[in-house]
Amino acid sequence: MSHELNTADRPRWMGVGRSAEQDSHAAAAAAARAAVVGADPKLVLVFAAITHDPAAVQEGIREVVGEVPVLGCTTHGEIGPGGPLDGSVTVAVIGGTGFTVTSAIAQQVSGRQREAGVELARAVNRADRRPYRALLMLTDGMIRDQETILRGCYSVLGASVPLFGGAAADGWRMTGTYVMADGKVLTDAVAAVMIESDAPLAVAVRHGWRRLGTPMIVTGSENGRVLTLDDRPALDVYLERLGAPADAYTDVNAFVDFALPRPIGVQRRSGVEARNVSTEIDLAGRTIGGGSSIDLGGLTWVMEGDEESILAATDAACRDVREALDGREPIGMLTFSCAALRAVLGDEGIRKEGAHLEEAAAGVPFAGFYTYGEIARVRGIDGFHNQTLVVLALT
Amino acid sequence: MVEAVAALQIQQLVELLAVVSSLPDEAAAVVGAAERAAQALEAEVAVVIIDRHIAAAVGFPAEELPEEELFAIADRQLDKLSVPDVGDCYAIAAGWAGAHPGHLVLARYDEGFSVEETNLIRGMARLLELTLTMHRTLAAEHEMRQRSERQAAENAELLASLQQRQRLLEHLSGIQRAISLRQSLPEILESVTDATQDLLGDEIVALWLREPGDPDRVRLAAWRGMREEVARRLAPVPLTEAGVAGEAILADGLVTNQGQPSTLTVDLVPGRQTIAMAAPVRESGVVTGALLVASCEPQRQFGDADTQTLRAFAEHVSLALTDAKTVDQMRQAYHDSLTGLATRGLFLERLTQQLSLAAREGVGLALLFFDLDHFKEVNDTLGHAAGDQLLMTIAHRVKEQLRGSDVAARFGGDEFAAMLWDVGAPGDGFAAAVADRLLAAIEAPVPLGERAVRVTASIGIAYANVGETEPGPLMRRADLAMYRAKHGGRGRAEVSAED
Repeated sequence: MSHELNTADRPRWMGVGRSAEQDSHAAAAAAARAAVVGADPKLVLVFAAITHDPAAVQEGIREVVGEVPVLGCTTHGEIGPGGPLDGSVTVAVIGGTGFTVTSAIAQQVSGRQREAGVELARAVNRADRRPYRALLMLTDGMIRDQETILRGCYSVLGASVPLFGGAAADGWRMTGTYVMADGKVLTDAVAAVMIESDAPLAVAVRHGWRRLGTPMIVTGSENGRVLTLDDRPALDVYLERLGAPADAYTDVNAFVDFALPRPIGVQRRSGVEARNVSTEIDLAGRTIGGGSSIDLGGLTWVMEGDEESILAATDAACRDVREALDGREPIGMLTFSCAALRAVLGDEGIRKEGAHLEEAAAGVPFAGFYTYGEIARVRGIDGFHNQTLVVLALT
Repeated sequence: MVEAVAALQIQQLVELLAVVSSLPDEAAAVVGAAERAAQALEAEVAVVIIDRHIAAAVGFPAEELPEEELFAIADRQLDKLSVPDVGDCYAIAAGWAGAHPGHLVLARYDEGFSVEETNLIRGMARLLELTLTMHRTLAAEHEMRQRSERQAAENAELLASLQQRQRLLEHLSGIQRAISLRQSLPEILESVTDATQDLLGDEIVALWLREPGDPDRVRLAAWRGMREEVARRLAPVPLTEAGVAGEAILADGLVTNQGQPSTLTVDLVPGRQTIAMAAPVRESGVVTGALLVASCEPQRQFGDADTQTLRAFAEHVSLALTDAKTVDQMRQAYHDSLTGLATRGLFLERLTQQLSLAAREGVGLALLFFDLDHFKEVNDTLGHAAGDQLLMTIAHRVKEQLRGSDVAARFGGDEFAAMLWDVGAPGDGFAAAVADRLLAAIEAPVPLGERAVRVTASIGIAYANVGETEPGPLMRRADLAMYRAKHGGRGRAEVSAED
């Protein structure tokens, strides 16, 4: 599949190519060929199913594009024109004289998240730069406390640079995700690229959850886990509030099935943020938590969403990003959605999500994947999200 | 649903507290406080200035920090800050005095700071100051301890004073934990007076709070070292007669007095009080009382350390009061203030939620509507107070008849509702059995003062149809069934004819 645009005379372009071939090398090469739609390719982003060999994927791309930085990761489904796919290699290439990219890798990130963020930001922060910038990051989805990586980046870059990205996924196997960069296959790593442009770019984030009932106060927390809500074991309060079936209290799989589409909402000034509690389960200790922390004293809610509310959020994110561009037509979009949303939407629902994205893109190429965490810093200093859709638009 | 704005403010203060008090040293606490303040207010920039130096800054690339502009904001000469590639941001600063004066500066792009947020930022600055004082004291103590091993004898006195500081820290963090864990307000206030007495070593400690309905009067909320029988029975007194505590409230500042004790003091204190000192306490920024410490020792003088300790405890009382009020407001928004049952709004929300869950999981759900027969007559003949008492008793009995998974609500007046979860099919008679239990519980005599009153209720029952997710039609059926029960002779239950 390819989406050809007349890019020959454009200073900035983006193309997307996809291949469902099973051979990793061949699939990557085919997708890359389809994605190079202009002169002077600057950056290749690749989103590959966990069933592919990430080394072969990078070789296949290298064969087509030569010495262009290639960054990518494994997924829980690939997003692009024609609808979501499982098992594909989806490639986005940006290029043209109007872009400059600088990439970096941080390794052995766990335990030194902040330092890694500082390191990455310093490495890609050029003094002589174009007027518009965004830092794109692909992280190993198994790293905890990814917010702190972003805090590290923010401490170097400040408010001037929007942050965008996603955490790699592994098709819900939960055995390990991979980040690809410079021909390497990495774990416990973050790949980052500063995209500098002569034209504006915009980032948006939305979720489709609504809060239910009365708020609960986090009365006990430790190491990012919620021990108690309203002075009672957090796991029980959470399940009771949502009227969970009996086996969710005692069976890990039943808990995962139940919790996946029902995040905890954390109150923030501009609204409620969703936090996934289905990944780190503690039936013995009756605590709840996920990769990102929920603080002591915090006001939280149980949340619920459905296909309608999630698709409304998809539309809203695309609308937000277009509004932020102030009437400029995008040349391409990156669209990262959450792996956990698939549990709510189902296969039919994600096809609808894909159709909504396609309609919002209105012919503009777009690519992305289903992540284990989304990155979008649009206001304030926070940027790591759960169960959202994040969109980056380039013009 | 109420947007819990106030709740959010205090939540953020408590979060800041939890974060900064968990950090190991001053440098980490300062950065933690700046980041947490920026996060809470969704500000792009947060800067901590101490002794005219930038101690922590987030939001600017390190090499591009506009120091002069930041100092100007701290001095209130500027209220905008230009952030590269972001634009002009609204800026605000809150400061503190003392040995190491400083400011917390925040800047936000999308919107200026509201009055509530300004208060929150002031609160954060005060907390930061307290935390920094703690860290410095700990650091000094650590150093002294090492030195004191070499010069134990000479330092005995100094060490004693540092050990005292250590105890202050322990007490303060204990109180902070109690607030974070939302222990009951009287317990927290008691622990503050205990700690104040333990630390300052004076005989008398008292917390005076303004009467909510009559702010010109104060009452004793917690005390140590006073005549129990007098203190316990003391009616609220005018501010002007409340001695040093009253003066501190009126002056909104620390007051010390070595003069003649007031008549009230003579009554309350078992001994001759020679000196007293009081610091104001605030609720959401407004002076609502004073924390007082007093001694009968003829030689007692209050030094800087004493003043600082009293202020620290007064700040913690303020935090506890503000927190308690906020939690209370939040509860009130969702619960009927008289009976503690869910409000109509909360009930409808829960009903909608449970209906869709019931539809998905194939669980039976029933709705009960009921009101009290002839309640108006009780109100008219025995008065509203008796009417309120009756409603409270009935509400309590209703709750006793329901399970944890059911929800009871008061819709207003004498109208109640209950949602019963997992009731099986209409033919099983589960909801009808619950209704019969409710009728019996409601009809039992209610003691009201000297008399006992009996009321009956009329209950309408409706079952949710299979797959029904809209609450409207279900409520209409329960309502109609209740009218049938009323017209059929009151004191009885009717199942909706449509079920």
